[in-house]
Amino acid sequence: MGSRELIAGPNFSGRSRTVHLRAQSFAAPTYFIGPYAEAALSGLSSTIADEIELYRAKDHTTGRSRFGTIPTDPRRKPQTLSGGEQVLLALHCFSLSGYRALAIDTALEQLDASNRREALHYLDASDSFNVVLTDNRACPPGWNCTHLTAADTKFACNWEGLRANVRQCRAPVVAISELSFGYRPEHDVFSNAAVTLEPGQAHRLFGPNGSGKTTFLKILVGALLPRFAQITLDGAPYEPWRSGNRALALATQNPDQQWCGATLGEDLSRRRAALASRGEADALADDRVMPLARDLGVPSLDQHLYELPLAARKRISWLWPFAGAYPWIMLDEPTIGQDDDTCRELARTLEALCSAGYGAVFVTHDDAFASAVPHRVLHVENKQIG
Amino acid sequence: MLTTPRLIAIALCAALNFAVGSIVYLIKLPLYLDSIGTILCALLIYPDRRAAFVCSFLAAMISTVITTLFINPFLIWFSATELALALVAAYFIADAEAIFRARPLPMLRFGTRVVLYGILTGVVSAVVSAPVVAYVFGGVTGSGSAFLVAFFLKAGQHLMAAVLHSGFTAEPIDKTLQVLFAALLFRATPKDFIEMVRARPQPAPT
Amino acid sequence: MTPNGAIALVIVVVLAAMMARISGLVALYLFTALFAVIEVGPHAAVALRRAVILMLPLAAFMILVWVGVVGRAPADIAASQPGSRMNALIYVSIVCARLFLIVAIVQIAAMRFATLTPLQFIQALRAPVALKRLGVLTLSLVETLLQAVDRAHTALIASGVITRRISARNLFHGWVLVQTVWLTAITSVTGRMRDKWPMEHTLQLLDPLLAETHAAPLATPDKLWIFSAAVIAVGIVWGDFHGVP
Repeated sequence: MGSRELIAGPNFSGRSRTVHLRAQSFAAPTYFIGPYAEAALSGLSSTIADEIELYRAKDHTTGRSRFGTIPTDPRRKPQTLSGGEQVLLALHCFSLSGYRALAIDTALEQLDASNRREALHYLDASDSFNVVLTDNRACPPGWNCTHLTAADTKFACNWEGLRANVRQCRAPVVAISELSFGYRPEHDVFSNAAVTLEPGQAHRLFGPNGSGKTTFLKILVGALLPRFAQITLDGAPYEPWRSGNRALALATQNPDQQWCGATLGEDLSRRRAALASRGEADALADDRVMPLARDLGVPSLDQHLYELPLAARKRISWLWPFAGAYPWIMLDEPTIGQDDDTCRELARTLEALCSAGYGAVFVTHDDAFASAVPHRVLHVENKQIG
Repeated sequence: MLTTPRLIAIALCAALNFAVGSIVYLIKLPLYLDSIGTILCALLIYPDRRAAFVCSFLAAMISTVITTLFINPFLIWFSATELALALVAAYFIADAEAIFRARPLPMLRFGTRVVLYGILTGVVSAVVSAPVVAYVFGGVTGSGSAFLVAFFLKAGQHLMAAVLHSGFTAEPIDKTLQVLFAALLFRATPKDFIEMVRARPQPAPT
Repeated sequence: MTPNGAIALVIVVVLAAMMARISGLVALYLFTALFAVIEVGPHAAVALRRAVILMLPLAAFMILVWVGVVGRAPADIAASQPGSRMNALIYVSIVCARLFLIVAIVQIAAMRFATLTPLQFIQALRAPVALKRLGVLTLSLVETLLQAVDRAHTALIASGVITRRISARNLFHGWVLVQTVWLTAITSVTGRMRDKWPMEHTLQLLDPLLAETHAAPLATPDKLWIFSAAVIAVGIVWGDFHGVP
């Protein structure tokens, strides 16, 4: 029977390093699926077909069952897949390969509940390979569990301080109707969809991988032009794709894709300048953001953002929505890579912000986190929201 | 010379050359910045100048071939220009790498170097490109500099002279911007990536 | 036909086009049409349409500059002759015909291999493995950067740093998008070089694929096409030597 080991523990306790050490101890190359963007991909393929061909065992004698099928055009570029879809592709490639060991560093957290169950079942069922896994949500029965306890406090957060400084806000009602959008003319993501987002409340966008949750967020901030949509803020027409975003602060799933600078100071100064053009720079004044940055574990504005550990980068990405520059807060998969304590505190903070009058929309496959935040569920499927 | 991190740097810089064109189109800028990656590659690999030149040129040529196939079929004609640019980047621009990464930024020295290297690169680029622009494209490559060529032609200059003078006018501006962007990107690059790229291959133990 | 043969053919045709006068260009156009019909078939129309789209703006620009603004051909200027717009138009027509031929043969040759994946195409090339590896890496990273462009574009619009439409703000802050994309890509490749590739020995999976060569570098059809193009090229040189227009 192949070994099954779960490395558990809080953030910054050395789990990733331990996964590396275990992989080395297998004394054979280990297939690796990491936590950061595109970590599931080889980085050597321009199409899904090439990715599969790269990993396919040349002697076709892996002796293990295939994981999943690829329900998309094999000529599609793997970089265009969502994070969850990339993880599924990686598991499919592993199942075709000759690797006798697999290491996964929190990557399964990007899967929706159904895919996650299927992935864990696959890892459990086969005895032809060893697995070492670190995951903030999973506790598969029958696995050896190594608990790491000593955590580096360098990036510790002060959640009480953060919640104590939440300002009051009066977020507008966001009403969306007749929303139609598709990336390609023949394939709609939304068709005449309608939903109303109420202030003082959190809303969870819930749906399978690839159903359009992130697309909806992009439309609301004006990055995508819908074929047709009527959006109002407290009844007043709002077209962010034309007039710019002035109501919704988005923290992206991959924090690295939202920075406006190499250092935290550079990032904030550019956002401040953008707000200043509308006379709204106060929200990002130094006396406001410096304590907030410290509370989120980054005390220095000279900190090079890309030199932070991934979990710390994820947390500091919440500074922008928590600063209160915009009355609506949008978090896309905020709990990926975050330990249970952080998820609980984040949930409490979201609740506090909603109580203060902000509106919130979050996307998550983490049911435990979602249940800790009083929220309304918006199902995103079949081209509708609601 | 071509360690794995350097291959990555070459591929990244080549991809950057290609991708910047699409960025320029996305945000509707009236420019076409196609050699930022070439200059950046030399900065990353310096102080090994020979390696910096070779890697920079490889990055330029790979991006040229890909761009020729998918976006601009005329770019391949300017391969000699890419060679000259890689030489200037490795043997001149890379000298300023300490200034580009200094914190706090020494504005005057930074600005002076950027402008000087931009002018140098622009002049070299204009001289090397002129025969191609004149004899392959008849003086018109589809950029705004064609009107400068027309102006000089209308004034009675021969085609080659008109192309050269047009190049001396337009290229330094474009190249100064590219040197500036490359310097800023180099400045923002995490130090551990630079160390990885600059590490020399270790000799096998005897 | 093999990718190696297609590349060699394109090089011969391009070199011939650069030397050709009117009669030579006619011969090359006929040759290219025959190549398109035999090797590519109906899909050649797609390649030609793409060539027209690529060439049309440049042709229009050339006419505007030479016929509209300058009003005479380079030969007229060199001979200090007043010249005419007709001469300028003839000059532009020959240059455009030459350039269109070059664009068209490249597009038609690329269309010939449209069914191959990038890895299959590079696999079939006769080139040093290191160069092939670079090609594979670059194509993959191009996709990574383009995807990062899209996502960073979203985030910067969301934060108000740039706008969706053309604006002065984009002119000033557009480079932030470039920086974000660059740093995102570096983070991604650094992680791969530190974690995934050493653990998996991923590059060792690639090299055997790139080194595979199932057939001779040039197939019989390749040799026939290249030989035919070379004969035309020799004819062009002879014609140039003997002053054939």
